[in-house]
Amino acid sequence: MLAGEIIKHNKTGSLSEEQADNIRRVILPYPTEIWQATVQERSNLFPAAYNTLKAAIIGFLSAIGIGLGLAILLSSSKALKRSLYPWILVIQTIPIIILAPIIAIWLKQGAHSVAVVSFLISFFPIVANTTMGLTSTDKNLLELFAVSKASMLQEILFLRFPYALPHFLSGVKIAAVLAPIGAIAGDIFVGTSAGGQGGIGFLAILYKGDVNTPALYACAALACLMGFLFVGLVNYVQWLLLHNWHESSLDGEA
Amino acid sequence: MVEENAIVQLKKLSKRFDQDQDVLSDIDLEVKEGEFISFVGPSGCGKSTLLRMLAGLTSVSEGALLIDGATPTEPRDDLYLVFQEANLLPWARVRENVELPMKLQGKPKITRQAVADAIVELVGLQDAADRFPRQLSGGMKMRVSIARALSVSPRILLLDEPFGALDAITRNQLNEDLLKIREKDPFTAFFVTHSVAEAVFLSTRIVVLESNPGRIADIIDVPHSYPRTVEFRESPEYFDLLARTSKSLRQQKGESE
Ligand SMILES: Nc1ncnc2c1ncn2[C@@H]1O[C@H](COP(=O)(O)OP(=O)(O)OP(=O)(O)O)[C@@H](O)[C@H]1O
Ligand SMILES: [Mg+2]
Repeated sequence: MLAGEIIKHNKTGSLSEEQADNIRRVILPYPTEIWQATVQERSNLFPAAYNTLKAAIIGFLSAIGIGLGLAILLSSSKALKRSLYPWILVIQTIPIIILAPIIAIWLKQGAHSVAVVSFLISFFPIVANTTMGLTSTDKNLLELFAVSKASMLQEILFLRFPYALPHFLSGVKIAAVLAPIGAIAGDIFVGTSAGGQGGIGFLAILYKGDVNTPALYACAALACLMGFLFVGLVNYVQWLLLHNWHESSLDGEA
Repeated sequence: MVEENAIVQLKKLSKRFDQDQDVLSDIDLEVKEGEFISFVGPSGCGKSTLLRMLAGLTSVSEGALLIDGATPTEPRDDLYLVFQEANLLPWARVRENVELPMKLQGKPKITRQAVADAIVELVGLQDAADRFPRQLSGGMKMRVSIARALSVSPRILLLDEPFGALDAITRNQLNEDLLKIREKDPFTAFFVTHSVAEAVFLSTRIVVLESNPGRIADIIDVPHSYPRTVEFRESPEYFDLLARTSKSLRQQKGESE
């Protein structure tokens, strides 16, 4: 819309060349301008990116740990699943906009709360996928273990876990995308800039106030980069663990 | 009372699931150590159920199942089951799959490796020992499955249509190999099959089951001694037994339809 307006104004000559260019910069800066803004703002952007990365890593790792733990609990008994699962869903269905103030009241604003939001946004896919994997173990293989007199622990370690691994990893991959998003959203809702703790989300709000679009795009680029980094790492681990045997990682031949 | 070398005795054995009609009824069978018993019968007559009872995977409803003269109370170390599908762990190499039962029994790594090496060679898979199941043909997978069962040197081996999914040539080859292995490492076998030819070639006795409820309809002795070679497959005795078993089986199928 706005772009159309500008072009119209420009055609009628009611805007000077420079005015038009300024407006263009606000709406759609050139990549070079984004790069310039990144360089200019690097003393703000990089510490902020570091803070966000830290929160996302903590959130992501907790999502893996707690998600896995919950999945083991849920898959170990039907009763436990029925009583626990609805509550996990409750947490997952409350929009973060509503959940965030509650977290802020309980835990106070700050980096730790940002990590909590990152965790809350990313743990569910791990729970859901891993539970699915742990409870869909091949029946014939379970019987094989029964005939072999395997103990409960052996069954879990040597059969249920490896069988659930591909499911678990696909949950982790979704979490890898969500954890940085959660950290940035958390930054906006429960973060604080005090003591240089502000993250990318916080900066984005500042840049929005300054109408510094190139810097906003720089924030977006950093967020993307973080997501790619996380997913890339998970892809690599997935390849390491699955490429020998799992259909998803087989490369056609061989 | 117990005959000295009867390893398995089934006495008026019956099985029903829930409140339903009997799946198996009044099965009486006494099997001596070293026998090779085949079960043939119409689909659904309870052959797999019978093996599963022997393996302790499902309970006995009525009558008695005795192994070495006693009712087994838990899965036995000296009994192993080969399933219809190869049922291998996809994430484990051939060697690791073969070692699995020993690993679950807590045998030390050195013992496991030594035994696995020997058995992998016995089933002719030494060149494939480090491959993953997905890199094997159907016949090779079945060999691994048999090697895995043999790794614990079972006295009793239960085989539920192990070669059902294989082509005739591979099946014949594996039949011959199975007998060769049994020469070296003797076990008592309970073998379920849909192939009469396979049953005649392998067994000391063929148990023909009828269905609804599953009962023993006929027992056919195969007196030919071991080792059995390809010549046995071409002998008049073989064809005679083939005809008798087929006829008996046909009668069962006819009645149930
Ligand atoms: N867990 C179970 N619960 C209820 N019924 C069962 C169960 N397992 C088997 N049955 C029934 O018992 C009967 C015998 O089944 P079984 O698998 O032993 O047949 P089978 O002789 O092995 O047949 P096939 O040759 O097709 O493999 C079938 O009617 C089947 O429906
Ligand atoms: Mg069956």
